[in-house]
Amino acid sequence: MAVYRMGYRRYAGPVTGRWERFWVLPRVAWRRLFAERLIVALLMAALVWPLLCALYIYVSHQAELLGGMARPLRDLAGIGGPFFIVFMRVQAVLAVLVAALAGPGLIAPDLADNALQLYFSRPLSRAAYILGRLLTLSGLLSLVTWVPGLVLFGIQAGMAGGGWAGANWRLGAGIVAGLGAWILLVSLVALAASAAVKMRVVAGGLVLGFFFVLGGATAMINAVFRSTWAGVLNPAWAARRLWYALLGVDPPAGPGAWESAAALVTIALLLLALLARRLRPVEVTA
Amino acid sequence: MTSTVVELDDLRVRLGRREILRGISCRLGVSGVGRVIGLLGPNGAGKSTLIRTLLGFHRPAAGRALVLGCDCRKERREVQRRVGYMPETDAFIGNMSAVSFLTLMARLSGLPAKAALERAHRTLFQVGLGEARYRELGTYSLGMRQMARLAQAIIHGPDLVVLDEPTNGLDPAARRRMLRLIREMKEEQGMNVLLSSHLLGDVEEVCDEAVIMREGGIVHACNLEEERRSNRRFIELEVMGRDAGLGGALEAAGAHGITEGGGRWRIVLPPEVAIDALWGLLARQGLLVRKLAHRRDTLEEIFLKAMGRITHTPGEAGDAPPRS
Repeated sequence: MAVYRMGYRRYAGPVTGRWERFWVLPRVAWRRLFAERLIVALLMAALVWPLLCALYIYVSHQAELLGGMARPLRDLAGIGGPFFIVFMRVQAVLAVLVAALAGPGLIAPDLADNALQLYFSRPLSRAAYILGRLLTLSGLLSLVTWVPGLVLFGIQAGMAGGGWAGANWRLGAGIVAGLGAWILLVSLVALAASAAVKMRVVAGGLVLGFFFVLGGATAMINAVFRSTWAGVLNPAWAARRLWYALLGVDPPAGPGAWESAAALVTIALLLLALLARRLRPVEVTA
Repeated sequence: MTSTVVELDDLRVRLGRREILRGISCRLGVSGVGRVIGLLGPNGAGKSTLIRTLLGFHRPAAGRALVLGCDCRKERREVQRRVGYMPETDAFIGNMSAVSFLTLMARLSGLPAKAALERAHRTLFQVGLGEARYRELGTYSLGMRQMARLAQAIIHGPDLVVLDEPTNGLDPAARRRMLRLIREMKEEQGMNVLLSSHLLGDVEEVCDEAVIMREGGIVHACNLEEERRSNRRFIELEVMGRDAGLGGALEAAGAHGITEGGGRWRIVLPPEVAIDALWGLLARQGLLVRKLAHRRDTLEEIFLKAMGRITHTPGEAGDAPPRS
């Protein structure tokens, strides 16, 4: 029977469980994000650097090729912590760009259209809503950060053979943990910007400003006070310091890994507090 | 075993420093029997705050609120699963089509994907948006968005539908359609409806019982269904001539009347006394009729009395002591 002839009847069928209901949010959001050409194009562009890194790993294992190269180039060919740090730094910047484009569309439209009361009148808590949005963005950013990083680790392990993976497992774990922490922070910043301003373009600008302006400001503070401690105020610097510790690479001068981790956790908690304050079903004026 | 739809027990709600709901207690509706409960009151009476408390948006400062037997605070998920909510203010996801929007809302309410999609189409046809269901909600008119809000409130077949000012901003045809849908929900689907409105005509037309709120409290509750069934007829009568014996004649005929002086009478006619009998009685008394108007306590009069604007309703003035 045609649907327009069926008429309305109350639903009496089975209902889905709590987790299945929860996963509706990220799945629908991913579908909508991947329908946007600009986001897909940026994701594709963000995979160029991992491809070049993969090529570099391949070349580094070709003895015949290296034999014909000049000595300085032969010395560069080692794959280790410094190599992956360079990879992570580039992908981290690209992740910020993807978050600035994709993040604002996750919460700002719900606030602008007053849709939160529709979500929260259903069996969906504020924590579940925030977690769903966080998973959406983190899942997207994973595609351009630790996933290709792990693939590069796998390629290197496969080509090096001889127990290289076992001896360097710390690199693989460090890539996942380091970039995992980074995309969590970037996602929180993007969601907080999306919740703070209802216009997507402005929210995207806020995301970029948070990372790039803060970087410049902390550099100025360090220069004025001739110190290195302002680095913890720069989330990008603090994350990189964490990566150096995780991958076992000699760190630059400045605050240690624990101080950097504490700074990142503090920033994350502040952003979560902002989200909790902004995401209410109805505005309450005291 | 039937229970009430909404049960409030000394419910108090504070927002900031202000106490919005001041210890209200009442029992509304009968679970399992489709009824429409009207929630009336002027602006600032606390209607929306009460609705939002029932939905779990506000936490009660004291007291208890039960919806369909579930505590609003301790069993919030269960309440939200069984209730559908149509907010007063515009609420939608602008860059989504109506079908996608409704499918998302249905899936968040617990329907499986296939059932959600099918019901999205059916519900949109039911509310009159079938032809526009693939358009983005941001392109809808106000009335269409209102119907879309109603659709998302009923798509999962809730036991209780809460409608906050559902006919606001609707043209007469859309208003009639909205009220018809509300009646269908009650009569054909057995759903309970909590209708908050300041439009007395809407409440009088579809509601079975009504609660009037003022300044955070309930000032009056009336059973409109019983009022309609009572079939009592109130007559406002104005006569010329000597009407001293009219009271006794009315009593003898089985009716009750009270004079307001100057030939004006308020008469209560029981169902078994036909209006023709009254005409005959007046003729036998030699009285000339200047005015004869049928009246019944309207909800407007009940409301105005609850607000303190009038001291009594016509029905109250016409009530004579019962015959022994």
